[in-house]
Amino acid sequence: MARITLPQAKFVRILFFLLIGVTTLSLARTFADSGDLSSTGTFGAAIGLAVPIGLAGLGGIWSERSGVANIGLEGMMILGTFGAGWAGWQWGPWVAIAAAVTYGALGALIFAIVTVSFGVDQIIAGTAINILGLGLTQFLAKLAFENAPGGGQTQSPPVSALPSFTITEISEPLSALQKEGIFFISDAAGLLSGLFYQVSIITLIAIALFILTAFILWKTSFGLRVRSAGENPWAAESLGVSVYKYKYIAVTISGALAGLAGAYLAIVGTNVYREGQTAGRGYIGLATMIFGNWRPGGTAAGATIFGYINALQLRDESNIGGLTLLGAIILIGIAVLMVARGMRGTGAALGLLGAALMSAFLFTTKMPTEVALVAPYVTTLLVLATASQSLRPPAADGVIYRRGESH
Amino acid sequence: MLKGVKLASVMAAAALVLSACGGSDESATASAAPSGAASGVKVGLAYDVGGKGDGSFNDAAYAGLQRAESELGVEIKEVEAGADETDASREERLRLLATEGYNPVIAVGFMYSAAVGTVAAEFPDTTFAIVDSVVEGANVGSLIFAAEQGSYLTGVIAATASKSGKIGFIGGMEIPLIKAFEAGYIQGAKSVNPDIVVESKYMGPAGDNTAWNVPDKAKAATAAMIDKGVDIAYAAAGGSGLGMFQAIQAAGGPEKGLWAIGVDSDQYTVPSLADVKDVILTSMLKRVDVAVFEVIKGVVNGAPLVGVQNFDLSRDGVGYATSNPAVNDFKAAADAAAETIKSGAVKVAAE
Repeated sequence: MARITLPQAKFVRILFFLLIGVTTLSLARTFADSGDLSSTGTFGAAIGLAVPIGLAGLGGIWSERSGVANIGLEGMMILGTFGAGWAGWQWGPWVAIAAAVTYGALGALIFAIVTVSFGVDQIIAGTAINILGLGLTQFLAKLAFENAPGGGQTQSPPVSALPSFTITEISEPLSALQKEGIFFISDAAGLLSGLFYQVSIITLIAIALFILTAFILWKTSFGLRVRSAGENPWAAESLGVSVYKYKYIAVTISGALAGLAGAYLAIVGTNVYREGQTAGRGYIGLATMIFGNWRPGGTAAGATIFGYINALQLRDESNIGGLTLLGAIILIGIAVLMVARGMRGTGAALGLLGAALMSAFLFTTKMPTEVALVAPYVTTLLVLATASQSLRPPAADGVIYRRGESH
Repeated sequence: MLKGVKLASVMAAAALVLSACGGSDESATASAAPSGAASGVKVGLAYDVGGKGDGSFNDAAYAGLQRAESELGVEIKEVEAGADETDASREERLRLLATEGYNPVIAVGFMYSAAVGTVAAEFPDTTFAIVDSVVEGANVGSLIFAAEQGSYLTGVIAATASKSGKIGFIGGMEIPLIKAFEAGYIQGAKSVNPDIVVESKYMGPAGDNTAWNVPDKAKAATAAMIDKGVDIAYAAAGGSGLGMFQAIQAAGGPEKGLWAIGVDSDQYTVPSLADVKDVILTSMLKRVDVAVFEVIKGVVNGAPLVGVQNFDLSRDGVGYATSNPAVNDFKAAADAAAETIKSGAVKVAAE
C-alpha cells in the first residue's frame, strides 16, 4: 500500500503545514465568499485572543513537564489580572506586568508547597487554588479599589497603555493586497499583515517565551532534569537530581506565565482589572496544552486555532459558514490521509464528520447564533478527540512523588 | 498512554464543575446617615455582578442610594455579588439583610429574580424591590424600565450622526432584556433612515455570565464592525462595553467620525471611563437611580412601591445623556422623537 510520508525536517514540516493551511483557508474563503476569514483584522483579533490562552498553556507545559498536573492555572491567571490592575493604575504598565508575574508565581508557590512537599492530590489542590485565587482577589479588590478614583469593588481604575507596534511599511501594502481577493496570495498577505498590525509588546514577549521554553526544556541539561522529574522522578532521583527542587522551579515558572497571561487581559485586552475577566481561559489554556501534546509548538498552534475561531465568531457570525467549510475540508483531508495510511475505521469516521459539516455548509443559509457561539468550543473538543489518538503526556504527570521511596 | 489524556479530561471537567462553586462574598460597607433628618429607615442594596464602579447600572443604583442617603437621611448598606455564584448564595445575602432589619431590601439585576421571590415570602413585613425583573409577591416592587424607548432615542441619534449608513450594537448576554435595547435602537435608527444597516453582536448566550465581563472580546467585535464601515456603535453589555469605547478610540474616534453610545448611566461623566470619554457621544439613561430613590422614598413615606413599576419616558425612567456638548447637534431630533413616544404616536416594540 502506498504510504504518504510527511517531510521529516522540522522547519520544512512547519512550512508544509502553513502552506496547506493557507491554501485550505483560501479555498474556503473563495467558496464560502467570506472575505473576513483571512482579513488583517481577523488575524489581529485572533492573536489578541490567542496570547492569554497560549501563555496559560505554556505555563501548563512547565508544570506538567515536571510531573505536576496544574489545574490551578485559572486561579493563578486571576491573581495575575488582579496584580496587573493593582500595580498598574498606581505605577504604570511595566510594574503591572512585574506584579502580575509575581502574584501568579506566588499562587503557584503555594500550589507547589501543597502538592510537592505535602503530596496533596494535585487535582484537589489545583481546584483549591482556583477557588482561592477568585476569593482572594475579590477580597483584595474590595480593599484596594473601592475608594480609588474610578475604581469599584470589582474593578480597578484604568491602567495606562503599553506600547504597541504597527510596522506600517509592511502592514499597509499587505493589507491592501489582502483586499484584492487573489487566491492564496491575499490570504497569506492578510495573515502577515495581521502579524505586523498593532502588536503588543506582551505578544512579542509571549512569542519569545515560547521559543525560550522550547530551548530550555529540550536543549539544556536543566530542562532535561525538569522533564526527567515528570517522566520518571525515581530514576532522576537515583541519578542525584533533586526532584523537589526542579518541581518547585517549574511550577513557580508555570504560575508566573499564567500571571503574565492575566496581565495581558488586564493591560492589553482592555485596561482594567475586572472580576471574572479571565472567563475560564485558564482551562482553555490547559486544553490547548493537551492538544499541543505537552509541547510549546503544538500548544502555540492550538491557542492560535482557538483564538482564530473565537475571532471569527466575534467578528461576524456569517464567518462561521466559511469556518464549517474550512473544517469540512480539513477533516476530509485528514480522513483521506488516514485511509491511505491504513487507518480505515478512524478515517471513515472523520470522513463522515467532514461530510456532515460539508452538508451543513451547503444546506444552511445562516448559522443560528447559538451554533456560532459554541463553535470555538466544539471545534476544540473535536480537535482534542481526534488528536488525542496520538498524544503522550509526561509519564509521571499527576503522580504523587515522595523522596526516597524509589521503586 | 491514553490514561494520561483521560485523566486530563477528567481533571478539566472537574475543574469546570468545581469552579462554579467558588466565589461569593458577603462583606459589606455600612455607613451612617451623614446629614438630613434621620428617618430610621435602613436600606439594604445588593449589587449585580459587575458591582459598584462598573460605570453602568450598578453605579446608577448607587447614585439613587446616595441621593436617598443625603435627602431622606436613611442608613445604607451595600453588598456585592460574585460572578459564578448560585441562587442559594444570593438568597443568603438577601436573607442576611432582611434579618438585620434592612427595609427596603433592593436587589439590582435580574439574576436575583428567584432569590427575591423566595426571600420576600419569608419576610412579609419587609419591602423588597428588584431591578430589571418582574417577581410576584405582595411585598415586592418590580422595577422595570422601558429600555426600548430610551434605545429608540439613541437609535435616532446614531442614525442622524452616521455618515456611512452603518451602525453597530454590542449586546451583553443574549436575553430578552438586552434584545429590547437592540430592538428599540434599530426601530429608532430606521425611523430616521429606513435603509440603515445595523450590525449586532452579543458577547455570550443566555446563561453565560462572563458576557458582562469580557471587554477584550467586545473590543475585537467592535473593531470588526469598524472594518465593515460602522461609524456609530451602541453597547448594552455591562462591563464589556468598555471594550467598545476602546476600539472606537483606537480607530481614531470623533476625528474620524466614529462615535460610541453608552448605556445605563451617563458614561461620559463616569470616573472609570475618563480615558475614553471623548468618544462617548451620549448614553441611553436607564434611571435606576430614580427607581431606587422612589422605592426608598415610598418606604420612608409609609407607602411602599409594590407590584410592577414601569419606568418609561413619561415617568423620566429612561432618556439620553446630554453632558457631552457634541450631542447638541442631535438634540432636536431626539427630543422630537421623545415627544412622539410620549404622545403615543409612536409605539416602540421591545422585541
